[in-house]
Amino acid sequence: MESLAKEQIIKDLLPQKFGKAGKIWVGILLAFCTLGVIAYILQLKNGLVVTAMRDYVSWGIYISNFVFFVAISLVGSLITAVLRLTQAKWSTPLTRIAEIIAVSAITFASIIIVVDMGRPDRFYNLFIHGRLQSPIVWDVIVITTYFFVSILLLYFPLLPDMSIMMQRKDQTGMLWLNKLYAYLGKFWKNTAAQIHISEKAINILSITIIPVAFAIHTVTSWLFATTYRPGWDSTNFGAYFISGAFLVGAGAVVVAMFVFRKAYHLENYIKDDHFDKMGKVLVLLALLYLYFNVNEFLVPAFKMKKSEEEHLMGLFTGEFAYVFWFAISTAMLIPIFILIQKKGRKPLPAFIAGLLVVIGSWFKRYLIVTPTLLHPFLPMHDVPESYKHYFPTWQEWAIAMGSLAGALLVVTFFARIFPIIPIQETITEIEEHEQA
Amino acid sequence: MNKHSKIFFTAILLQLLAITAFSQAEKNDLSLSISYFNSNNHIQYLVAHAKSKIDGKFQMIPNINLSFYIGTEDAANLLGKAVSNDKGDALLFIPPNAKDEWKKAAKVSFVIVSQKTKAFDEAKGNVDITKAKIQIDTLADKKITATLLELKDTIWTPVKAVDMKFAIKRLDADLNVAETPTYATDSLGVASADFKRDSLPGDSKGNLILIAKVEDNDTYGNLSSEKIVPWGKPITYYTEFGKRTLFARRGKSPIWLELLAYSIVLAVWGVLIYLIGQIKKMKKLGLN
Repeated sequence: MESLAKEQIIKDLLPQKFGKAGKIWVGILLAFCTLGVIAYILQLKNGLVVTAMRDYVSWGIYISNFVFFVAISLVGSLITAVLRLTQAKWSTPLTRIAEIIAVSAITFASIIIVVDMGRPDRFYNLFIHGRLQSPIVWDVIVITTYFFVSILLLYFPLLPDMSIMMQRKDQTGMLWLNKLYAYLGKFWKNTAAQIHISEKAINILSITIIPVAFAIHTVTSWLFATTYRPGWDSTNFGAYFISGAFLVGAGAVVVAMFVFRKAYHLENYIKDDHFDKMGKVLVLLALLYLYFNVNEFLVPAFKMKKSEEEHLMGLFTGEFAYVFWFAISTAMLIPIFILIQKKGRKPLPAFIAGLLVVIGSWFKRYLIVTPTLLHPFLPMHDVPESYKHYFPTWQEWAIAMGSLAGALLVVTFFARIFPIIPIQETITEIEEHEQA
Repeated sequence: MNKHSKIFFTAILLQLLAITAFSQAEKNDLSLSISYFNSNNHIQYLVAHAKSKIDGKFQMIPNINLSFYIGTEDAANLLGKAVSNDKGDALLFIPPNAKDEWKKAAKVSFVIVSQKTKAFDEAKGNVDITKAKIQIDTLADKKITATLLELKDTIWTPVKAVDMKFAIKRLDADLNVAETPTYATDSLGVASADFKRDSLPGDSKGNLILIAKVEDNDTYGNLSSEKIVPWGKPITYYTEFGKRTLFARRGKSPIWLELLAYSIVLAVWGVLIYLIGQIKKMKKLGLN
């Protein structure tokens, strides 16, 4: 990177128009989103009865998706804040990828909660009837806060880049884009005073985002852990959720790194070394999450309390055994096996490991939410057979997949509008390196 | 008819007889009994009990439709219908429209009839009771007296040598007023007992409900009479309702939680507002 000229860096990193593959990708995502919107309209029209959720399983894949989105959003604090504060300069090209994943995920976490409520006007009830004692209210507060912190953390480092993009209006090719850049960053003149304020703000945000990020995932875990149900009644849940969130977030960044590197030919910026380092981070996080999983399942299994037996056996050998072992293998065991080897931390194997982590983690969230609900302490008398099992309807799948596609669409459009790797920071780092 | 045909038809006949005998043997006898209750001399009700001997053991039979009659089993004397519960019991309050039949004599009969079901044939049960009542009173030094009176023609007459219980009404069961389980009535129909349960928790004024009762008497059924006495220890019930607790309604959260939550929210949002101020500052610097 040291040998790259400033103009070359700007040229390489400026947002590019979608190619053929990009257009197909956007088309596929839009198709999923449209299907999701159609399913949601049907749900609005007919009510939550179109879902498979009943009195037993009242939290299905919508809430699994919510927990997944909240988890993946934690990556913003890991890459941007933790690595920035520990002076890990190598993470610079990854910060914006991490931040846009965080913003996009937290946006869709909020949307999916409203979807789960059935009628969207019920969201208003949270404000007029919400109790401060309820973790649900804490979740609303902390998600809103995290969203704003993430937006600011995305915005401040973007200011110098917007100035660069405005200077190259002809290359962006679209009038409305230039207007957007001007609206957001016309005032940026790269003066010493502005740089000082911006750097100070980024440092403050990097410190602020860590407790907020911990809070968002701890509070989400408390939505479950504050209720006395088998599988949720655990003091381990906060740490268990945070370690899992860091893992899936890091996995998502590795996947995004590989895709952006391929799509925008960023081999000079997102290097093999980045995959090597992120691979090591991923192994560490997978081992950490595995440790919490051992705590979460082995200790109750050792005691095998009557109230927990049905739930645990359902996961280990019963109805959910295939999903459980699939999730444990794909989210932790296989990625650890791949990434612990040096050749496994090359871009392609690291991408595969990251993808496995993301897929496995989605199923892990499903296993956290649903099986517990199938085993109430006070079962209903003469409960219909359909209440005892849960498999999402096509409407639920369409909405869940639509929301995932929506989150990817936000990341995709962001990369089309803004540089996915910070231009000014990259130039500054090269200049500093050359001066040194 | 040849030899083979005879054997064949004999076998069929024996088979049919066996099936008939088997199906008849499957039906058990349903035993019905009935208890009369007069609670505090003004609430009268009947409890029917349905049981059957199955596999050598008596079992309570649920879901038996029962018709209750006063006097005789006539449609005009029908008091009402009830279905036995899991314990084989069916309860029916004696309705006001039975007043005329009730007043006819000092002795009254009640009849219950069950409908025929797949498992049981129709069954009947009855009880004859003599109208009676208990009058409860208290004297000095926490002494309790109760008089048992039966109706003879139109006159209430004392009844002697009937076992009576004295108790205090508690939440689940009655608590005897002393160690002695029962007290027999004398020639004046009076039984008396001393209250020995000091410091028993009462209501906020220390009131207890005394109860004198005759249980499962063959002549009078189940009778009881109650009286409120201030012999208990006043108890003030503590309730968290309306107080600031973790389980209270909106706006009633504990102060420590409000302080903690609002401080955190203000601190974090204070930082965010400060940073928005910094953006404005940068704007000013850039546009000037």
